[in-house]
Amino acid sequence: MMKLAIATLTSLALTTSLVQAQQVYTGGDDLPTNPLACDGTPGTATPMDYDGGTPTNAPDRAGQTLTVVDVPKLVGIGYFAATTQGIMEAAAELNMNATTDGPTRANIDDQITLIDNYITSGVDGILFAANDPVAIAPVLRRALEAGINVVGYDANSEPDARQWFVNQAEFNGIGKAMIDQLAAEIGEDGAFAIVTSTFTTPNQARWISEMAAYQAECYPNMRWLETVEAQEDNILSFNQANTLINKYGDELDGIAGMTSVATPAAADAVTQAGQCGNIAVVGLATPNAMRPYIEADCVKSAVLWNPIDLGYAAAYVLRAAADGTLNPGDTSVEAGRLGELQVINGSEVLLGAPFVFTADNIADFDF
Amino acid sequence: MTAEAQTLGRREQSWFGRLFAGYGQEIIILGAILLLFVVVWSINPRFISPNNLNTIFSGNAYIAVAAIGMSMVIITGNIDVSVGALIGVLATIAGTIAVSGYPVWVAWTAPILIGIAVNFLVGVLVAYARIPSIVVTLGMLSILRGGLISVTGGAWISNLPPEFLLAQQRPLGIPAPIYFMVGLTILAAFWMRYSAFGRSIYAVGGNPEAARAAGIPIERRIVQVFMIHGAFAGLATILFATQLQVIQSTVPPNLELTVITASVIGGVSILGGSGTVIGSTLAAILFAAIGSALIFVGISAYWLRAVIGLLILATVLADMARRRQAK
Amino acid sequence: MNWKAILRHETILAILVVLALVVLAAQSDRFFTPENLLNQGRLMTEVGLVAIIMTFVIATGGIDLSVGSILGLVAILIGVFWQNLGLPLEAAIGLGLVVGTLAGLFNGFIITRFGVPPLIATLATLALYRGLAEGISEARSVRGYPDWFYVLGQGQVLGVPTQLWILGLVAILAAIVLGLTSWGRATYAIGSNETAARFSGIRVDRVKMAIYAASGFAASLAAVIFVSRVSTTRSDMGTGLELDAITAVVLGGTSIFGGRGTIIGTVLGLIMVQALKNGLSLAGVRGDGTIVLIGAVLILTILISNLFHRDGNR
Repeated sequence: MMKLAIATLTSLALTTSLVQAQQVYTGGDDLPTNPLACDGTPGTATPMDYDGGTPTNAPDRAGQTLTVVDVPKLVGIGYFAATTQGIMEAAAELNMNATTDGPTRANIDDQITLIDNYITSGVDGILFAANDPVAIAPVLRRALEAGINVVGYDANSEPDARQWFVNQAEFNGIGKAMIDQLAAEIGEDGAFAIVTSTFTTPNQARWISEMAAYQAECYPNMRWLETVEAQEDNILSFNQANTLINKYGDELDGIAGMTSVATPAAADAVTQAGQCGNIAVVGLATPNAMRPYIEADCVKSAVLWNPIDLGYAAAYVLRAAADGTLNPGDTSVEAGRLGELQVINGSEVLLGAPFVFTADNIADFDF
Repeated sequence: MTAEAQTLGRREQSWFGRLFAGYGQEIIILGAILLLFVVVWSINPRFISPNNLNTIFSGNAYIAVAAIGMSMVIITGNIDVSVGALIGVLATIAGTIAVSGYPVWVAWTAPILIGIAVNFLVGVLVAYARIPSIVVTLGMLSILRGGLISVTGGAWISNLPPEFLLAQQRPLGIPAPIYFMVGLTILAAFWMRYSAFGRSIYAVGGNPEAARAAGIPIERRIVQVFMIHGAFAGLATILFATQLQVIQSTVPPNLELTVITASVIGGVSILGGSGTVIGSTLAAILFAAIGSALIFVGISAYWLRAVIGLLILATVLADMARRRQAK
Repeated sequence: MNWKAILRHETILAILVVLALVVLAAQSDRFFTPENLLNQGRLMTEVGLVAIIMTFVIATGGIDLSVGSILGLVAILIGVFWQNLGLPLEAAIGLGLVVGTLAGLFNGFIITRFGVPPLIATLATLALYRGLAEGISEARSVRGYPDWFYVLGQGQVLGVPTQLWILGLVAILAAIVLGLTSWGRATYAIGSNETAARFSGIRVDRVKMAIYAASGFAASLAAVIFVSRVSTTRSDMGTGLELDAITAVVLGGTSIFGGRGTIIGTVLGLIMVQALKNGLSLAGVRGDGTIVLIGAVLILTILISNLFHRDGNR
């Protein structure tokens, strides 16, 4: 009996392994992609009608002090500490009392519970970065029904569950920036692997799909070796990157990190393996985390928007929505030191093109 | 006295038998590791390249070190579900000290001392206030996790001084964490098997009444074991915090479960009273080897955790089968 | 005798809960309103369902760490059965409940048949069930359920959130079973002394199997309600649920070593945790501060309770 059970389990494990070995995991999602042109001609944006929601019976908040809560995906991550900083800077300029309160683990339920509590406590505005676009929607709709202004940033919800979403950079823009950067460093026929967070993070899956589409169109000879998962765990990211280096040896020309946790860990793996110059690391990362590797000339660049600006813009958009100066149909919004930001896709405010940090400009940033 | 000592006394066949007596589970895991190496090596020989062996053995070294202390706690019949949060707090403390300009040895000793202090409190609550350890450490988990975010606000620590990065040293080409893992495991294994103190840990967990009758101060022993566990958590922290040039204020999700799993898969009985730390270290290595093997074999990462779960279950059942045969 | 009854753990906890409610109500006038309290009931249903059955598990001296993973697996399966296999949603939910119950039964099987300690057995299935959820879902979410399904998680019946009726029903049933039936007495007997229970004619293995199956069923029921509440499925649903449920159960006075515990205690524990989470948030305390306080309350409550029971069940 016992032996039978053990044998069954082991063979089950082996069969699953073998069946799965046939398929290569990309880490992308199966939504339609929209790659940009290879030469960088801006895509033709089709104008869309406003598809966001509207708060029910919102009081006139123009000029009033607003109580605002910011609910990021999770707290304890440098990236969201930076968005919080931007929100606080804007709040000081805009007569807002802002607090940041997020879950301590990237857990959809904790985030929903927090937002629910803040609806009850009667805040004027909610800023959020969704752990799941659909799961968060019911509670955000409740917020709109309660007359609260709701603005998202970093990670979207279903459009009708919030008023506006501040988009840090379009998915296809990130895809292009990442692949262009890779191609510049590993050549148009190089081979690369990806270290991502988990399969269930929608932004990463979207970026990977857009990268794949853009690469297939613009650099057909590039080889995509494999995508590995590493949670939001820096030691695991480091181990996974090391394993990729060991597995592919000279075949591997570059590693792309899809999170601000994975990219510095991959850079550290390349550094400690003594492969600086042989294996390129590109990826999404904050400049402070990448500074040692860029200054040591092991990593040439990191791709990111400025998360401080992202938080700052989100707070400005919320203020404008509450004051009634940003209304459905508007094509741009004024955002303090960032100037005018464009409205795209109906109800999204675009922060700008992704930014590439290099040894020349990284000293100018501190986040 | 203990189940293990009995086994040792009963079997007096060959030197070979004596050497391995009481290490059944350890041998099973070692066999699993070797089997894995052979299978994956036959698919992709690079799996056993020196670089990859370094990656596998050093990858989970901090988990193995934390599991040493955890094993002792479990052997006394207690448990600690807060160790992951504790490592996170200690890492932030060590990093803060390191970037504040103190000598690195201060940054290295602080997590050990603070780990001992925190777990002294836990031990007192368990042993003298008689609160079950799972309750105390569940509470501790919340307190440490929440407290860490409250204090740091989620900011990461970067610009660590290079000499602080102990885990990146490679004496003789072998990563420092491997020395720590192997050295501490052997030390702890010998100490637990041959010292009076070490053996009394088994007695406390295996048969508290008999232990008390034999004059072992049970309460004090439990507090001491928790303090030792705190010291190992501090040592694990040093490996965890000095591996990369950035310290996050979050720890890997479910780190405590990984550490506990390593201990129990390694043969530490959750009922207390038996098990060794060699098994838990082997289990931590096995986890790292499985993770690496899956990449080498090219198994879709979607099924990674299911495969690990099946293997854990198979190991556990094999252990139960072995124990029944031993009876 | 009477003196001891007054100082039962549950009584102490009830006093603390009332105290907490009064203090929290004084901190914010939005706390003690019917709408808010009912809404909190909605938020605590999933943990509540699992915790109520967990009371049985822990009272037998066992533990079930796999509940969060069963929740995730069942959530994914409901979506897959409905969308990929094209079953009617009712059938998909029914099948999901069956699979979840079987997952619990499998826990009970390896615990009783192979003698694996519950903590290890469910630690292994925690990884296994979560792994199956990830593998089967391949990170895809299933959305767009028919409207009637959302009544369960987002709707109301007679002004009370639908799932709160379910939670109440399960709590009452469980309290009756644990307090008044031979099954309940068997549960306590196994937890106090399994060998003695066996000799006194209790079919220990059968009772245990049934309890672990019930735990799987509770987790799957929680999965259905959770999917309905958040209107999507994800393979990481329910991560960490086990620790929240265990917190409520031990706060409620159930001895982790078995033999002691009541459903009323667990319900009080649930209310305490949820009231603190909500009330402190309304009073302006951030989430990280709140979990620090919940941790402290957990330790202090058991400490106070132990002070009144110097015999101390360690």
